[in-house]
Amino acid sequence: MKTKYLISLTFLISIFFSGCQQLNEDPKALLNPDQYYQSQKNLDATIAGIYGAFNLDHGVGGVSFMVNAFGADDLSAHPASNKAEMRDFDRLAGTSDNPRIHANWVLYYMAIANANAVLANYEKVTSADATEATKNNSAAQALFLRAWCYFRLVKEFGTAPLILEPATVELMPALAPAKDIYDQVVNDLLKALSLFPSTTVIGADRANPLSTKTLLADVYLNMAGWPLNLADKYALAATSANEVIQSGKYSLVDDYATVFTSNNNSEAIFTFKFDNINKPTRNRGSFSMNEAEQPLNGPSGWHDFTTESGFYKNAPKCKRTWQTFSDTLKIMNSDGKTYTLKPWNTVGTMQILYKKFRYGLGVPGKGDGGEETATSLIFGSPSSGKDNDVFRYPMVLLDFAEASAMANNTVSQACYDAINLVRHRAGLPDLMTAPSATAFRDSVVHERAYEFAGEYGIRWMDVQRLQLLPKIIAERSPTEVVDLSGSSKTNPAPKYLAPIPLSEMTLNPTWTQNPSY
Amino acid sequence: MKKINACETYFHQGKVFTKVFRVMKVTLFFFLIAIGSAFAKSSYSQNTRLSLHLQNATIQQVFDEIQKNSEFIIFYKDNQVDVNHLSNVNVVEGTVDQILDQALKSTSLGYKIIDRQIVILATDRKDTPSVNLNETEVQQKKDVSGTIKDNNGFTLPGVSVVVKGTTIGTITDNNGIFRISVPTDAKTLVFSFVGMKSQEILIGTKTNFTISLEEEVTGIEDVVVVGYGEQRKKDVTGATSTVKSDAITSRPITKIDQALQGTVPGVSVVSANGQPGQNTLVRIRGNNSITGGLDPLYVVDGFIGASISGIAPEEIESIQILKDASATAIYGSRGSNGVVLVTTKGGKEGKTAVNINTWMSQARMPRYVDVMNAYDFADTRNREDAIKGLPSTFSQDQLNAFKQPGASTDWQKEISQVAMTKNYQADVSGGTNSVKYLISGSYLDQQGVVINSWYKKASLRANLDIKASEKIDFKLSISGYESSSRNNFEGTNFNSPFGSAQTFNPGMAVKDADGRYIMASPYGNASYNPVAEANNNIHDYNGLNVQIIGLVNYHIFRNLTFTSTVGYQRSTSMNPGVSGPYTGAYALGQDGISIYNDKFWSFQNSNYFTYKLNFGEHAFTATALYEQQQQEYLSYSASDKQLSGYGNGYYIMGMGKSSTTGSGYWADAIQSFMGRVNYSFKDKYLATISLRDDGSSHLTDKYSLFPSLALGWNIANEKFMQDNKTISALKLRASYGKTGNQAIGAYATIPALQANGYYYFTAGQQSTVLLGGVVSSSLKWETTDQTNIGLDAAFYNNRLRFTADVYAKRINNLLYDYPASDYLGAMHGNLQTSSTYKKNLGTLDNRGLELSLGGAPVDGKIFKWNTNFNISFNRNKVIDMGGLDNILSSGNQNQESATILKVGMATGQFYGYQFLGTWKTEEAAEAAKFNAKPGSSKYVDVDGDKQYTDKDRMIIGHAQPKFSFGFTNDFSYSNFSLNIMFQGSQGNQIYSYSAAELNGGLGIAKDAASPDVKNNMWTPTKQTEFPVPGMPNDKTLSSRYVFDGSYIKLKNLSLSYRLPESILKSLKISKLEVYVSGQNILCITNYKGYDPETTYGASALLQGLESGSIPNPKTYTIGLRASF
Repeated sequence: MKTKYLISLTFLISIFFSGCQQLNEDPKALLNPDQYYQSQKNLDATIAGIYGAFNLDHGVGGVSFMVNAFGADDLSAHPASNKAEMRDFDRLAGTSDNPRIHANWVLYYMAIANANAVLANYEKVTSADATEATKNNSAAQALFLRAWCYFRLVKEFGTAPLILEPATVELMPALAPAKDIYDQVVNDLLKALSLFPSTTVIGADRANPLSTKTLLADVYLNMAGWPLNLADKYALAATSANEVIQSGKYSLVDDYATVFTSNNNSEAIFTFKFDNINKPTRNRGSFSMNEAEQPLNGPSGWHDFTTESGFYKNAPKCKRTWQTFSDTLKIMNSDGKTYTLKPWNTVGTMQILYKKFRYGLGVPGKGDGGEETATSLIFGSPSSGKDNDVFRYPMVLLDFAEASAMANNTVSQACYDAINLVRHRAGLPDLMTAPSATAFRDSVVHERAYEFAGEYGIRWMDVQRLQLLPKIIAERSPTEVVDLSGSSKTNPAPKYLAPIPLSEMTLNPTWTQNPSY
Repeated sequence: MKKINACETYFHQGKVFTKVFRVMKVTLFFFLIAIGSAFAKSSYSQNTRLSLHLQNATIQQVFDEIQKNSEFIIFYKDNQVDVNHLSNVNVVEGTVDQILDQALKSTSLGYKIIDRQIVILATDRKDTPSVNLNETEVQQKKDVSGTIKDNNGFTLPGVSVVVKGTTIGTITDNNGIFRISVPTDAKTLVFSFVGMKSQEILIGTKTNFTISLEEEVTGIEDVVVVGYGEQRKKDVTGATSTVKSDAITSRPITKIDQALQGTVPGVSVVSANGQPGQNTLVRIRGNNSITGGLDPLYVVDGFIGASISGIAPEEIESIQILKDASATAIYGSRGSNGVVLVTTKGGKEGKTAVNINTWMSQARMPRYVDVMNAYDFADTRNREDAIKGLPSTFSQDQLNAFKQPGASTDWQKEISQVAMTKNYQADVSGGTNSVKYLISGSYLDQQGVVINSWYKKASLRANLDIKASEKIDFKLSISGYESSSRNNFEGTNFNSPFGSAQTFNPGMAVKDADGRYIMASPYGNASYNPVAEANNNIHDYNGLNVQIIGLVNYHIFRNLTFTSTVGYQRSTSMNPGVSGPYTGAYALGQDGISIYNDKFWSFQNSNYFTYKLNFGEHAFTATALYEQQQQEYLSYSASDKQLSGYGNGYYIMGMGKSSTTGSGYWADAIQSFMGRVNYSFKDKYLATISLRDDGSSHLTDKYSLFPSLALGWNIANEKFMQDNKTISALKLRASYGKTGNQAIGAYATIPALQANGYYYFTAGQQSTVLLGGVVSSSLKWETTDQTNIGLDAAFYNNRLRFTADVYAKRINNLLYDYPASDYLGAMHGNLQTSSTYKKNLGTLDNRGLELSLGGAPVDGKIFKWNTNFNISFNRNKVIDMGGLDNILSSGNQNQESATILKVGMATGQFYGYQFLGTWKTEEAAEAAKFNAKPGSSKYVDVDGDKQYTDKDRMIIGHAQPKFSFGFTNDFSYSNFSLNIMFQGSQGNQIYSYSAAELNGGLGIAKDAASPDVKNNMWTPTKQTEFPVPGMPNDKTLSSRYVFDGSYIKLKNLSLSYRLPESILKSLKISKLEVYVSGQNILCITNYKGYDPETTYGASALLQGLESGSIPNPKTYTIGLRASF
């Protein structure tokens, strides 16, 4: 009988002890945001994370960033294939469920939220590796990146929720008016300028005082146009751009084509970095090859975006234009080794793709982007280590030229000098006279269209702020393979803004969608 | 000769053990009286001398002493003998007569001694020994003999053998052998044994017999496992179903979930794709969650969440499916998807038995999808170009070349193969009264129908039962398996090699003249050479899983048992892969090798008391449980890109240009208390009450309660039913209860930052950190309230059985992967869709009816027919979504959402554009308003704005079937048996991404591959309703691609032949069976894709979507089962 009680007791004791199961979670593999920001290294990793957000998804964001910009004349999409996302906007018939519009919105807000986290925490960092200067530099970079994102958001959507602090799921913000967003952008940039330590290194891969001034100039220029139409901002734009020019840090690369096959060149002001092995961009090389073109190494062109044939035909006849567009197709013969050259309008979808994006970092045999000779397509891959140039020096020159002329209502020699630097490199004669500041502005906008053709939606920004849709619709080639949407042809006005992503509208029932969407 | 217990003597190897001794005493009473006449009168009783001194002992004790000290066996009828009567016995070296005389002195009992048998009789009932106990008259006789076995080939001692119509008989000895002298005019021998069907055999001129007795199918009387114990089936109040081992092994299946397909009402089992080693989707009573897991909880030998992959089908004793809340609530927060209890076989007392099962099968693609040849493909493209006003893509020279023989490649044939599978399983079992064992090993080598894909598994199991003493017994089960596979998880994607084979350009060759793979084609919807992808893109898996389950039962008092179970599962895996030359990854510069290794363990300890109390007509069983479980997972990964060479596959890391690493970790714990009372009154009125309290580390509010109540009424036991000869059992059941779904992962409420690789600054790389996902601040379990009413009936002495259950389930606090507003800035895996967080969102209803009818309509001596038909109806409806009307789900590659979740509708609604045909030439003006051209698709313009926008999407189909059913038939004729099993689903629809791709949409949306385009395409002169591929405005999410997914499949057809005993005896084999079978050999369906059964995703939102899934192959098998 004793044994019986002993055994029973043992069981009860074992239950008692095993009863102490801990139910608290110990997330060994998670970083707690409340305790993370301890050192400068922590800040550095977050700042790098914000830049890194822009090379997520291999920079397909390169197209997403400008998917709304396909309404401009420098961009067109494949008439069929799986390019509906771009094609819809090309036809001025984008919809709110467009996944790339969504990707675009997502990226900006990822960057903003992480910038907000840095801004909320940078002052708390106390470790020895952090000085006032390093902390302020981190904060200034966060401000620059947040400002750039809000600037892109307000340009694209006209409105957006303005979130400046770390948020939780309970947050249900309202849509902020464009004016508030612009003001916040300017505030952020001015604050960034005040925070950058004097020792800040000027390099295109990080925000710095000069890239901040470049962005500020562009923001002011856009504030002067639609929808705010604040003409007093021209002067501010001119001043800011002039400071960048006067810094003497930048100069134009001699050969226009080299801009697109080199990183950290003399005109790169701000870039997002890529690495062909680890984080390649996917918007180079075969990305801009025609689907009917097949390089020797295999896969045919991605044919992701083209230019409108009218835009190509109206291009100034100069070296830059030959370097920009690919109007001859290399069609592989049935031997799989040799090519036949065919004019662009006799093959496939009869479209012209961008030659300037057909290469990666142009080292033969490197397997980066694309490689071709006059008679052969040697290599084609959309992957490349070529950085995405957000701001190139010609932008500053042209922003200055326009803003200065418009601010003073007269075209100074400095204005001519600025535009002629760009024209000279393009292989165009100097612009000597202009009948008026407005006419000069139009010349600058025309210059910009071809200098930045296909880049980052820069052309679309001009179309938007100067309300050029009726003009470019009128100048559109009747043989363009992608039709404009019928209703947008007659009433393009609402199409300057993109629709707020459908999913976001669904989650925020109090928001009002942009007109026509 | 050692004196041994009477039971052991007679039932040494039988199915029946000591505990049924009393029953046997009664049953065998008459047999053995009859036997008595056959025994030659012996002087054993006179020669045996015993000494016995007992004061105030019960008659039972006297009997026990006699039996213990002699070879006598004492028989009596319970209702005639009061064994508790007290008496004194004092005999020294006396005969048994003397002892009995003293013991029975003060009773009215008498006795008869026939050799070693003593029969206690009521002396006042002179009619009782109506049989002749005297020496049999001398008459003409002949000697016959034989061996009796059970259906597993074990010899049966103690079987009664009686000449029909006489009192002449005997019983078999320890070796199952009997010898009997029968009158020459005797015609028939009757063999009977408890728990076995009696058998009558004509004597004829034969003198030697080998008889095999079959177990009596007691059906509704069975004992079933109910979780933390077992119950007589007739006492069960919940809705449960059982699958027995013989139903499992009658098909050549490789995993136990396949055994559930078509065999159990209310359980839907879908083989989502035909890849080897793939899991099936098992759904019990519909989809009980939206984003949470839908898989039932598997409990193997008491271990919750045990791996079922390592269990060979032959090792299963039974599978019990718990469906209603009464049955599942004892598993609390893990019970809402239903519970599958798996019991593995143990050894049986007796001689060592060896079983061998082996089969080989050959699997093929069930069919090929129609695609165009190279010429038609090119010619169609040119015709499309002409309609669109574009230059012709292919020149006349090229077209002519495509007409040459051999110019076309049939990619579907190139990518598929005839797949061989070999399966071996063997077990050894046996034991003594105190130790029983079963050791089983199996090996499976399975090829996939897609080239370069396979699955292999080797498993070993040892089950040990130890009876340490009368009070303590142990069970120990150790099992482990190693499995490895190649490329067997790419089954559901049209970008996979298999998926792209349908649409890759038929005008391309597999390899060029130099023998190198041609990597890609500028035409066709698929980008990369499927054969190169299949051969040079390799993803391997190798995993080892070990499971140890120990159980101890301590019978503290007569009615109180304490049980403690400890389960430990440990698994590790290595997952190396290589993406080599000529693959898509190579084209993108992302070729390389990668690996991840992981480690997982799970520990469970359950302790419970079971108390049984019977008084009068009341019977109670109470169970009290404490249980805890812990789990931990850890993984590391590494990759290396752009290797300098691929000759070594994935074996050398560090040959590449850049490497990356990563890691993962989680751990969790759960702690539970459970109490249950089963009560039965007069065997008629039954009740079960249970309550479980689960505490989980995942939740902010740790503990949740899960109660249940069930009532049962055995109507057949009522007086007014006693005389009913038709209805042999009738039970009404009703239950209500609450269960949960653990659809919340660890750390779901903890915000975190995440490492996100490097950013490559000019000065050097910098590691990066980003905000992780958005999290909820508080979360609750999804809970299911379920009401069930059921009826079990059996007719004609259980020959026909019928079960019906009707249920209503309401799932509250529905957990949903709720899209987070993007402005919250959560880390995104896919930038084009929203990130999500877990949220308790709303309410979902499932209502259903399930019917099962089965039995043995024909049960003759030679011809038998066993059948079961079951059919299930489930209706599901979203009741509430936290104020939202609908949520669009995210689809696959093209990031399109194909399904919608809408209040008032079932899950699995396809949401897209209703196709109306084509715009005709005369409608050009109207078409232009829609930005459409003649020849392009026309859809319903829901909002009438003359544009096709997302506002024009509507419900275009539904994935939920109206009903699904299974129909199993076993015919046996002499030594042949035939199993035919049908399974099907009716009224469900499939949205086929493959169809969209074949018609020129999706993928890279360049070219159509389907010959329908060639034959039916709209042209200005032949204005059909078949749109020209690749027109702007074409919608992939079109009702064009919604198809009827109903099907009836002949899942299994097998014919087996059991070699006659006469042949086997000489080979010393107790059983040998050979069989041939076919699986999926017939499918009746309107669906045009590969296989209506396959599906894209496992979640409730993705059901019914098909996307290049590998079909379930048509398989032919030959096999052999042998026992020694």
